Amino acid sequence: MKHTLKFISSLSLLFSMFLGYAQDVPEISKNLKDTVTTKKPKTETVKTVKPEIQEAQAPKDSVVKTDRYGLRVGVDLYKLTRGLYDKNYKGVEFVGDWRLTKKYYIAAELGYEDKTTEDDRLTSAANGTYLKAGFDYNFYQNWLDMENLITIGLRGGFSSFSQELINYKIYNPNPYWGELPPITEGQKYNGLTATWLEVAMGLKAQVFRNVFVGFGVQLKLLTTNKEPNNFENLYIPGFNRTYDGNFGIGFNYTVSYFIPIYKKKTMASEMAKKEEPKKKK
Amino acid sequence: MKKLISLLLLFTFGLSSCEKDDICDANTPTTPRLVITFYDIANPTKTKNVSNLKVIGDEMKEGIVFNESLAVDDSLRYVTNASTVMIPLKVNDSTVTFKFIYNSLNPAAINTDVIKFNYSTQNVYVSRACGFKTIFQLRNVLPFVQTDPDGDSIWMTDVILENPNIESENETHIKVYF
Repeated sequence: MKHTLKFISSLSLLFSMFLGYAQDVPEISKNLKDTVTTKKPKTETVKTVKPEIQEAQAPKDSVVKTDRYGLRVGVDLYKLTRGLYDKNYKGVEFVGDWRLTKKYYIAAELGYEDKTTEDDRLTSAANGTYLKAGFDYNFYQNWLDMENLITIGLRGGFSSFSQELINYKIYNPNPYWGELPPITEGQKYNGLTATWLEVAMGLKAQVFRNVFVGFGVQLKLLTTNKEPNNFENLYIPGFNRTYDGNFGIGFNYTVSYFIPIYKKKTMASEMAKKEEPKKKK
Repeated sequence: MKKLISLLLLFTFGLSSCEKDDICDANTPTTPRLVITFYDIANPTKTKNVSNLKVIGDEMKEGIVFNESLAVDDSLRYVTNASTVMIPLKVNDSTVTFKFIYNSLNPAAINTDVIKFNYSTQNVYVSRACGFKTIFQLRNVLPFVQTDPDGDSIWMTDVILENPNIESENETHIKVYF
């Protein structure tokens, strides 16, 4: 059930990307037209055939677009609030990103999770801290001074954790001597580690000045996994539930605050010029 | 960018096709039974079918079910005429005793032998869905003790330990010649 829910949300995110992309194209082409028409009046005199159009477009061009650079810090509300209704879960995740260039952000997440997993035949608990670091690429074309983001990014994740096997049942397909009650074990496995790669898709919208609300899904690929002897890492903090393969999935819902540090000014026409060769690729 | 999105789509669909691993597959090797194979003592290389053999655990009322499809009150449900039997050992103990009743449906020809097995157990992790299984190892000293409570001579003439490690049901652990 949870799995399908996550899948649906990831799908809707994908569709939202198409929306963003679809809006992208006409805007760029508009900018292209701008440059074509505006180049002429700068070199020539104002004697052109369509003065009205130019007058309408000229001020738009001369608008200097200011990009704000800085640090964004936030917290994952999903993990934070889950502890309130799920007695088997305690967790927190801090998120942060630093705007490196116009489109690239350095991003990282730092978190702690303590989760008890009750499966049909065994109960186990995992707790530990994790760090994920990487970058985000914002491919959303903002209008004027808007600062929303639709990002795709890569992360490397590392988790250091411990696991406890609380109890288990013996699987006996021939219970001639009767079914046995669960065996309480209480065996703790310390010093476990895991690393993984993840593709992160995210959406961040500025709801008030400097305050962003965002959600993201992550598809994960486990690269290393130090497993306990005679047991398995059923839950890895930061990676979440493990499946038979190496894949995993994650979700977060963040609220973050943007601390502006410096500004960069770009001419609208310059932006268009820069994007022109990119489009031809 | 289009390439990237199509790649992501592929990735997402690939992930959704992952199999559910919450249910323990019946084909997963879990707690094994002790496998006893019967051989012809006159021709030791050939297996020999037993005749209406009933196997009852000590202090148990019913024998081991050999014919799952028959009704609970059908006496044929608890007898076998094959050359192999699989005996479930006690998971939470280190010794178990079984009565091997030969010709159990014919009161005139009935012959009961008793074997007590001595072993050690080990619980091994299988998977999230299956939990753990127990594997057994028959002891080096006195892996089994054969007795004849009726006093009517044993029917299992020769009982030989073939493999003390009971980890799967694909191999014979004990050979019986009769």
